[in-house]
Amino acid sequence: MNDHPILSVDHLVKHFPTKAGVVRAVDDISFDVAAGDTLGLVGESGSGKTTTAQCVLGIYPPTSGQISFDGQPIGVVFSRRKKELKRSIRIVFQDPGSSLNPKRTIKQILSVPLKVHGMGSTRERLSMMNELLEMVELPPAEYLYKHPQSIGGGEKQMVAIARALATNPRFVVLDEPTSALDVSVQGKIINLLMRLAEELELTYLFITHDLSLMRNVATRVAIMYLGKLCEIARTERFFRAPRHPYTKMLLSSIPVVTSDEESLKPEKVVSQGEIPSPVNVPPGCSFHLRCPVRMPICSQADPEMRDLGDGRVVRCHLYDDEAT
Amino acid sequence: MDGLLAIKDLHVGFRIFEGRLHVLNGVLLDVREGERVGLVGETGCGKTTTVKSVLRVLPTPPAVVLGGEIVYRGRDVLKMSRRQMTALRRHELTAIFQDPLQSLNPVFTIGTQLRDIVKDSAIGQGRRLSRREVEARCIQALQETGMPDPERIMTNYPVQLSGGMRQRICIAEALSTNARLLLADEPTTNLDVTIQDQILRKLDELVDEKGASVVMITHSMGVVRDLTQRVNIMYAGSIVEAGGTRVLLEAPKHPYTRGLMASVPKLTGEGISEGIPGRIPNYLDPPSGCRFHPRCEHRMEICDQESPPFYEIGDGHRAACYLYQEAS
Repeated sequence: MNDHPILSVDHLVKHFPTKAGVVRAVDDISFDVAAGDTLGLVGESGSGKTTTAQCVLGIYPPTSGQISFDGQPIGVVFSRRKKELKRSIRIVFQDPGSSLNPKRTIKQILSVPLKVHGMGSTRERLSMMNELLEMVELPPAEYLYKHPQSIGGGEKQMVAIARALATNPRFVVLDEPTSALDVSVQGKIINLLMRLAEELELTYLFITHDLSLMRNVATRVAIMYLGKLCEIARTERFFRAPRHPYTKMLLSSIPVVTSDEESLKPEKVVSQGEIPSPVNVPPGCSFHLRCPVRMPICSQADPEMRDLGDGRVVRCHLYDDEAT
Repeated sequence: MDGLLAIKDLHVGFRIFEGRLHVLNGVLLDVREGERVGLVGETGCGKTTTVKSVLRVLPTPPAVVLGGEIVYRGRDVLKMSRRQMTALRRHELTAIFQDPLQSLNPVFTIGTQLRDIVKDSAIGQGRRLSRREVEARCIQALQETGMPDPERIMTNYPVQLSGGMRQRICIAEALSTNARLLLADEPTTNLDVTIQDQILRKLDELVDEKGASVVMITHSMGVVRDLTQRVNIMYAGSIVEAGGTRVLLEAPKHPYTRGLMASVPKLTGEGISEGIPGRIPNYLDPPSGCRFHPRCEHRMEICDQESPPFYEIGDGHRAACYLYQEAS
């Protein structure tokens, strides 16, 4: 693992103008992902996790800000990206039931990226597809000619992973890859993803709302709330001593299953209030309406990202004096 | 504590073109007065079918009750007339479902829907309420769930509210009837964790206050641990393990429960197990004997021949698995 960032997002802003007003889906966020890392991007629904990922992929052009991949700026729409770049950044979507075409066989589904990127002859492509299916532990002879509806949810997601890996990417965005699946299936997918990351030297941007999952998967965790980042830290440190009040609320709200885990949770922060709409973001810190340690300054000025050292960045007025 | 609800050896199937799906395979479940019971299992294991059978809201056909009894306070629900059933649903049983957008009518305001329920349940108790009384009870019910500004909410349509608010309304509706048994079918699955936490705490308080019993259906072990005293683990249409929640979750016995618990990601960060190989059986042709045997690593000869009865492991903790044949 080296410290050279493979992806760096700098002051990314994505606003969507609507009739009801401007939706501030992503509002000035910055983070780096080092090669070989898994960054867990965690947030509740509507916090802008997926929009961030879609900007990285080029599905939307950013309203402002810069995204660089390998030091090269890539903040343009998908159609204007170089093919080489499209090969390097791939995505696995949340629901394999709707991301795989039900009328195509798995062979047809897997052949699309290979054809689009002009990889190999027809015969070579067939052997590539066999390799891809073997990589995700599905016996090719059995699965190649099946349709998605005849296989289980976990197997479908494995096909989606194989499709993402078809172009030998270096960076894969995982957009809630297991949240549509049962826990007994999730384990298999997660272990597969982790093994592939090691074997193929992949870097992941792992989007999820499941913090317990991130504890076991991510090397770094970033928390998003209403289009902004609250806290980024190395996983172990993040869970041992969360700093931002929202992070504490989130961690103390997780329903856990054993008493060992119970002892690891921070002191109970009573969750209150609703998540405001991103059309109507409160002034100052967007979390101040729900914050248990609200100060007068919170409703006036939006806190800045403060580097507390050790790779931990927090955006909260509580730490205004602590910054290094 | 007396028995309130007892499901005895319930078998429910669905007739479809390809044949008969034998979904519920001898469900055994009992709920005592004032008790909170969890029913946990993965997608397609029959949790919702069980609840719907109790409420008798399964569409028949295709559903068929193949056998068993559902005894609610000494009376068999399955044998009740339509009229008795309506009365039961009106002021004894109540339910909260997973998706509040589907359980609320999109073309009526919250007020209209809530007033109907309040009026109806009062009629069920033999009283006719004045307009003012109805209004007061509605507002009280909304306030109890921690809803700000209930008067305004009464004039809103479901789409104008957030997911957490909608689910609160469903809870308000369910609990405004003073029902004795609440069937909560994944009430917080669609919500974010911080909102889930709020809703569950509110539900917890209200149930305590009203002294109702709860059957909490969920796939989240964590939710069950926080909210229930006893838990039943369901797999492929039968209960495979039952016992006190804390005890069962700390030391699961049935191979399925153990596999399930190992696959739950934990905050201790010890990694996630590979999960359970294989998948839930096809109900058209379910495995013989114990339905878990094709996926079980402790499979024995007897497992595919006869389905295991419950074996007592200790203090109300029992597992339907031949591994514990000698222990009991």
